[in-house]
Amino acid sequence: MIAKLGKNVSDAFSNFLYATGFLLNLIKESALFLRRRQVGFRVLVMQLLFTAVEAMGIIALISLGLGAVIVVQGISILPRFGQGKLIYTILLIVITRELGPLLTAFVIIARSGTAIATELGNMVISHEIEAYVSVGINPISYLAVPRFLGVTLSMVLLTVYFNLFGLFGSFVVTQFINPIQLQDYFQNLLGAMSVVDIASSLIKSLVFGALISFTAIYQGFKVRVSSTEIPQVAIKAVGQGFVLCILADAVITLIYYV
Amino acid sequence: MSSETESFIELQSVTVRAQEHISLDRVSVRFPPNRSTLIMGPSGSGKSMLLKVAAAIFPPDSGRVLLHGNNAQRMSQSEMMAFRRSSGFMFQDAALWENKTIFENLALPIQLHFPGRSRKQIEERVGELLERMNLLDSLTLRPAELSEGEQKIASFLRAIVLNPSILFLDEPTPSIDHQLLERMLGMIRNMKDNGCTIIAVTHDAHLTAAIANHIVVVKEGRVLEAADAARVRHSSDREVIQIISEVLSEAATYDTDILDLLEE
Repeated sequence: MIAKLGKNVSDAFSNFLYATGFLLNLIKESALFLRRRQVGFRVLVMQLLFTAVEAMGIIALISLGLGAVIVVQGISILPRFGQGKLIYTILLIVITRELGPLLTAFVIIARSGTAIATELGNMVISHEIEAYVSVGINPISYLAVPRFLGVTLSMVLLTVYFNLFGLFGSFVVTQFINPIQLQDYFQNLLGAMSVVDIASSLIKSLVFGALISFTAIYQGFKVRVSSTEIPQVAIKAVGQGFVLCILADAVITLIYYV
Repeated sequence: MSSETESFIELQSVTVRAQEHISLDRVSVRFPPNRSTLIMGPSGSGKSMLLKVAAAIFPPDSGRVLLHGNNAQRMSQSEMMAFRRSSGFMFQDAALWENKTIFENLALPIQLHFPGRSRKQIEERVGELLERMNLLDSLTLRPAELSEGEQKIASFLRAIVLNPSILFLDEPTPSIDHQLLERMLGMIRNMKDNGCTIIAVTHDAHLTAAIANHIVVVKEGRVLEAADAARVRHSSDREVIQIISEVLSEAATYDTDILDLLEE
């Protein structure tokens, strides 16, 4: 019993060390991306198309809906306390600083995180990764780095897109409830906005993107011999992606308030 | 250093563990240059792993792999790229890149190692190889659109596209039809005659008869025998003789004594 526990702790520790080493290697190779002769620009472009462009529809729908819900709830409750103007601050905090990056991250985990883990896992099983090594291509720089950079960059772009649509969506809904001039709406919004709102949103999206892509790539490469491992790593990529993003969100928010 | 000692591959006390299972157990073996070495053994004996470790595709858990006298795990990136440029590896299951066309599969090694080559030069080289194996029509197809035998041929062509001086072949012949097999054996024989070092895992009596100079017999992750084919033929180790007879007789249709295939 004690021996088993000790072995589990030892395995967990070595896995942690291995994952840390993998992450450092990924960051190092990413820094060298532009200098590498064998860089996968095409893979990067494809990743941007899949992760960012193809997700624009669902991100627009979620952000419009969220902006609308906040306005409907805010306009019906806040004026009762004489705090009608607070709607702009709430919009910025909820959409830009909190739910924008987090909901975008969830969409990317569900779409790209699973896809990356599954694709890389399949490549391991069919020995395609070994084939890359055999011709002299480093799988980290050719396969992992473009996905890492592509997902991270997509996460930042989609968060900005989410914020814009969320804030625009709230304006559209406002027109039905309490019509207001576009200029006045954005003046009030900009008046309530601070640099911290924008910085927090960008930092979160950058960290979430890196965590999502790293988790998916790491899990994909962890497949060893059997195709039954592939759904398992896809599920782990999703689960760990969610947990890491929520933890990172809490830490970044705490840093701001503390 | 003489060329004899420079151009060889050697494994020194190499051990590879796959999860709880030991694939290679303190294996020490030397693959002589400019000769054809065939690795033989029963299924699951560690032959493919031995080939991948020798090609520096799979790193050992312990022991050393020497490529041209250099420790593979300590080679610089440029040294390793030079080795990759001079070697080719054909996988047992073809291992073609599924998201690329056959042309892209064959062109990638050229684009990587010879970035100065024009598109036309690459097309000429790839076209020439595919034409020799009747696969020119498959240029724009994905691997999944090809038969198993055609995929293996494409994998073989990818391995030789850079005109390697060291060729690793993992079970190259199964599922290839007779006509294409003859052409492929002709190309392998031609490479051997031109001094290419060939290291192959095979059960095929035809390939053995065509190129075997040196035999490595493997069982349960250990090397039982590594010597010239003629010497192995006369080995006093009954287990070695039994393994070779069994391995070759799986694919052989010869009336003669199967071990006569190893006579030069």
